[in-house]
Amino acid sequence: MSISLFQAFLIGVVYYLGNIGTPWLSLLGSISVVYKPLVAGTLVGCILGDPIQGCIYGAAINLPYVAFISAGGTAPADPGLAGTVGTAWAMASGVDTTAAMTIALPLGLLGTMIWVTHMTLDVTFVHMADKAAEEADLDRICFLHVVPPQILMFCLCVIPACAATYFGATAVQGLIGTLTGVPLRILQVIGSLLPALGIAMNLRSISRPGTLLFFVAGLIMVKYLGLPVIAIAALGGIVAYFYTTLLYNNAPAAAEGAAAAYDDDEEDF
Amino acid sequence: MAEKTLTKQDVTRAFWRWTFFSHANYNYERLEATGLVHSYKHVIKKLYGDDPEEYKACILRHMQFFNTEPHIGGVIPGIVLAMEEQRANGAPITDEAINGVKTGLMGPFAGIGDTLWQGTLTPILLAFGISLGAQGNLLGPIAYTALMFGIMFPVAYICWMQGYKLGAEGVQQVLAGNMLQKIITGASAMGAMVLGALSAQFITTTCPVVITIGEMQLSIQDTVLDALFKGLLPLIITLATLWMLKDRKMKSTTVMAILIIIGIIGGGLGILGA
Repeated sequence: MSISLFQAFLIGVVYYLGNIGTPWLSLLGSISVVYKPLVAGTLVGCILGDPIQGCIYGAAINLPYVAFISAGGTAPADPGLAGTVGTAWAMASGVDTTAAMTIALPLGLLGTMIWVTHMTLDVTFVHMADKAAEEADLDRICFLHVVPPQILMFCLCVIPACAATYFGATAVQGLIGTLTGVPLRILQVIGSLLPALGIAMNLRSISRPGTLLFFVAGLIMVKYLGLPVIAIAALGGIVAYFYTTLLYNNAPAAAEGAAAAYDDDEEDF
Repeated sequence: MAEKTLTKQDVTRAFWRWTFFSHANYNYERLEATGLVHSYKHVIKKLYGDDPEEYKACILRHMQFFNTEPHIGGVIPGIVLAMEEQRANGAPITDEAINGVKTGLMGPFAGIGDTLWQGTLTPILLAFGISLGAQGNLLGPIAYTALMFGIMFPVAYICWMQGYKLGAEGVQQVLAGNMLQKIITGASAMGAMVLGALSAQFITTTCPVVITIGEMQLSIQDTVLDALFKGLLPLIITLATLWMLKDRKMKSTTVMAILIIIGIIGGGLGILGA
């Protein structure tokens, strides 16, 4: 499959719309929706004429980023670039889904450079807004808050993503054709290991005493009982209800102790 | 002096401006500061439009560093709206009081909000959406999107409105009780269970080594690992990754590099498969 320049441009626009903070679909619509490869991949599929194939690749590319968290102005990876350009590359070269996950990976890392650039350059507009604040010019502050940063963001997102899609697809096609045997197996093993990173980062951020016991319970429910995730989420909600009721209603003193231990507790088991 | 009151429409309008534009100029120095000023634009004009000095003071007050989780943490701008309204009507609310509420609450609410939204809700909905999407079912991304908006927009709206209604004292009373602790502990338990399920489903690493002893072929994965504990490899891999991140305090990119090296060595030697 070949990708036209116009299609590559549209894929760049999808990447822009999903980037954290673009106002068109609300903050939630960017970071929690279009930024996710599951959604971005489907949109790229629509642009390239096969939404279902895009959805399948997007779902696979999303795996390492299931537990992605951006907090305090940091972004550990860029699922947006992986989901848009990665899906386009995968569709152009027709690789299997595990390999698609791995070829999207460097994109997720490179994307953080775009994030750092925009977070740094946007400081300029704050300094301009400071001057406007000294003159009590509220309209100008609001203008500086939206228009220049978004024009900058549009360029920072669309140009690299469009170029990577348009020029990269052919290169990746050639590269993938030569990948068989051991190199392909290495790619697949890496792809199978990577979801652990996002899951562990997420576990770290929700860590409390006993968290790992619940984690093991969820793992057992899939491996031994074969339950689907949605059933485990519902069971988790029920267990959480009884757990917190027992923890906080019967023993308020113990609960306070548990809350105090939250920050420095290293031994969760 | 006439009483200057914010109508429900004023408060709601500020909420929507915040919801769409909070991060439009997100940056390393002030983060959401100009986002807050942008959200308050019409409120500042209404409350302080007749007093140039207070008008400017209010703008400068909110140009200060501000950063929190924008949905559940939206309770803070809600509270501050109520404080600004009282101040404009002559209540003795100082700059320090307003800044104190903002800086004092933004950290805790970022922690609460990110745990519930990015740490618990997002992986649950994604796990659901991905399992459908991986089979080529477009309902996956569509249901994911609908549920995300359908849950988070009402939550954000309620938090903002409750912040405005309860004010600083009311919110601190809620914080002092154990209801929030309860919600976070519960969400953490539920989230951990879903993450356990995800690791079992998605960390598909296996050990394809087969040892031949005489005529007997011994598959490590089937006869050793699975016999001991199904899901042993995903469990070990996740715990080791968590250990590197949490106990060794390694950067996520370093941990990723280590995982890639393990993949290259394990895949190259044929010890690991997928």
